[in-house]
Amino acid sequence: MIEVEHLSKIYGSTPAITDVTFSVEPGEILGLLGPNGAGKTTTMRILAGYLPATNGNARIAGYDVHENSLAVRQRIGYLPETPPLYPDMTVEGFLHFVARIKGVSAGDRTNKVVAAIKRCNLEDKQRVIIRKLSKGYRQRVGIAQAIVHDPPAIILDEPTVGLDPRQIIEVRNLIKSLGGTHTIILSTHILPEVSMTCNRVAIINRGKVVATNTPENLMTQLTGGSGYEIEIEGEAALAKQVLQNIAGVSLVESIPTAGMHTHQPQADRAYLRVISQPGKEPGRDIATTLVRAGFGLHELRRVNATLEDVFLQLTTEEKHLEAVTEGEAA
Amino acid sequence: MGIVLSNIIAIYRRELQSYFVSPLAYAIAGIFWFITGLFFVMILLGPDGILPAVATIDLQAQQGVPIPPIDVPYEFIRAFLDRMGWLLLFILPILSMGLYAEERKRGTLELLATSPITNWAVALGKLLGVLTFFTTMVVPMLVFEAIAISGSNPPMSPSIPLLAHLGLILLAAAILSIGMFISSLTDSTILSAVLTFAVILLLLLIDLIAKIVPAPVGEALGYLSLLKHYNTLIQGIFDSSSLILFASYIFLGIFLTAQSIDALRFQRQ
Repeated sequence: MIEVEHLSKIYGSTPAITDVTFSVEPGEILGLLGPNGAGKTTTMRILAGYLPATNGNARIAGYDVHENSLAVRQRIGYLPETPPLYPDMTVEGFLHFVARIKGVSAGDRTNKVVAAIKRCNLEDKQRVIIRKLSKGYRQRVGIAQAIVHDPPAIILDEPTVGLDPRQIIEVRNLIKSLGGTHTIILSTHILPEVSMTCNRVAIINRGKVVATNTPENLMTQLTGGSGYEIEIEGEAALAKQVLQNIAGVSLVESIPTAGMHTHQPQADRAYLRVISQPGKEPGRDIATTLVRAGFGLHELRRVNATLEDVFLQLTTEEKHLEAVTEGEAA
Repeated sequence: MGIVLSNIIAIYRRELQSYFVSPLAYAIAGIFWFITGLFFVMILLGPDGILPAVATIDLQAQQGVPIPPIDVPYEFIRAFLDRMGWLLLFILPILSMGLYAEERKRGTLELLATSPITNWAVALGKLLGVLTFFTTMVVPMLVFEAIAISGSNPPMSPSIPLLAHLGLILLAAAILSIGMFISSLTDSTILSAVLTFAVILLLLLIDLIAKIVPAPVGEALGYLSLLKHYNTLIQGIFDSSSLILFASYIFLGIFLTAQSIDALRFQRQ
């Protein structure tokens, strides 16, 4: 649904993002996770057709965001960092306006506006002037604005920033309810947010995607299991299968060859990363198993969790939020 | 085509609606009506007004001095709209200053730029919106003019006031269009108003500059003068070159606005 290939954006001489590649399947919710200034907003702006990329290309629903800008813009809903609202309009009037410029036909408009208002829980505020709304309601109007024309792809830039804990929960539930029928990209610098809302996470740091995975696997990587990087001769898929069965191994993944620093990657080699379970050291078993299975082992070295430096800058805790959730559960 | 039209109407309606809920717009309209009312009284009754002048002429005529008759309503319309042209210089930059600067400041430009709507459709819708607001500001003035014209004997040809007001609207559209472009260059409304004021002042006075500059260049510059063409129209003279000049200014403003919004996206930091 959304394909991003080797996307780069350079402002003057400073690169904002470099060689960003990822894709989002239809109905999937992808979280762009990264510290502030990592390039999340730039990536999203390029996808929304607001900024042109310096290099690379991005396609949404098969249309190139730059060459077929208008076709793409019809198919996306976009919530920028600051919700784009006209303070002197009513919620209802604003959504009608947005539906109209997004090309919703006249007969359909009222239905869509009512549906968006309902979805975002804005029923009791629909005739209120936007200027008079609180920050949380404004954010919801911002989301309503992004979904009012029922676009197949939705791009949400920091949708929960600045909200109070209860509102955050509401917004997350709203986003989850949109998944499945819509393809969603959202950005955040809050780690627990992705595990709660997203099917998949792309971690972005200093303009580069450093990992793409499911939230569960990333959590494993994060919570301290040490890892091994392996270079072998042979079939990667086969090796993964073998390695997965070793006791103490929690995750096996391919390393993008672009990330190799040591030497030129060779075509007949497979490059893998093995993450061990916390407290386990399966290095010895990995070596013996690989050799026994007939793989030519060229390199096996221990690495620290590669994402550590990224995560240090992320907000990993949500104490006040957890308190609220527990309160509700009780 | 239908989609484009629908988009223009959407932008137009939003823009117009924003004026009708804006205290600033009402303040401007109030000041405008007050000053035009002042003009009305001054032109007719002031020390250099038309009526005292006519009284003098009447007196001279009674004494047997042959003086050509003077058409008071015509003189009034001309003088009234002439002053109006200058008033626009102060009023219109305030109306146009927020057209894009506000959108940039609020971040709503990002919404417009990521919607399936072209830059020039946005610009055209906005220009039509602010122009409509200005036109509604002008409507009450027609009362003054109706008072003056009703005394006309023989009755004035309707083409004269019609053409004069067309001139007023065209002048306003040209100024607003340039103002809109300037507004698209900055996210400060004040800066936008001041710059627009300076540019429009220059375009109004370019006539005077043209007189100093040697012939071919001077003549060309003189042709660009907004005021000169405005004066032709408010005298009731139909001159297609004036219409073309105003249309060019309007088109140029819309074109430059669309370009500047495009450029903004390319260099944005």
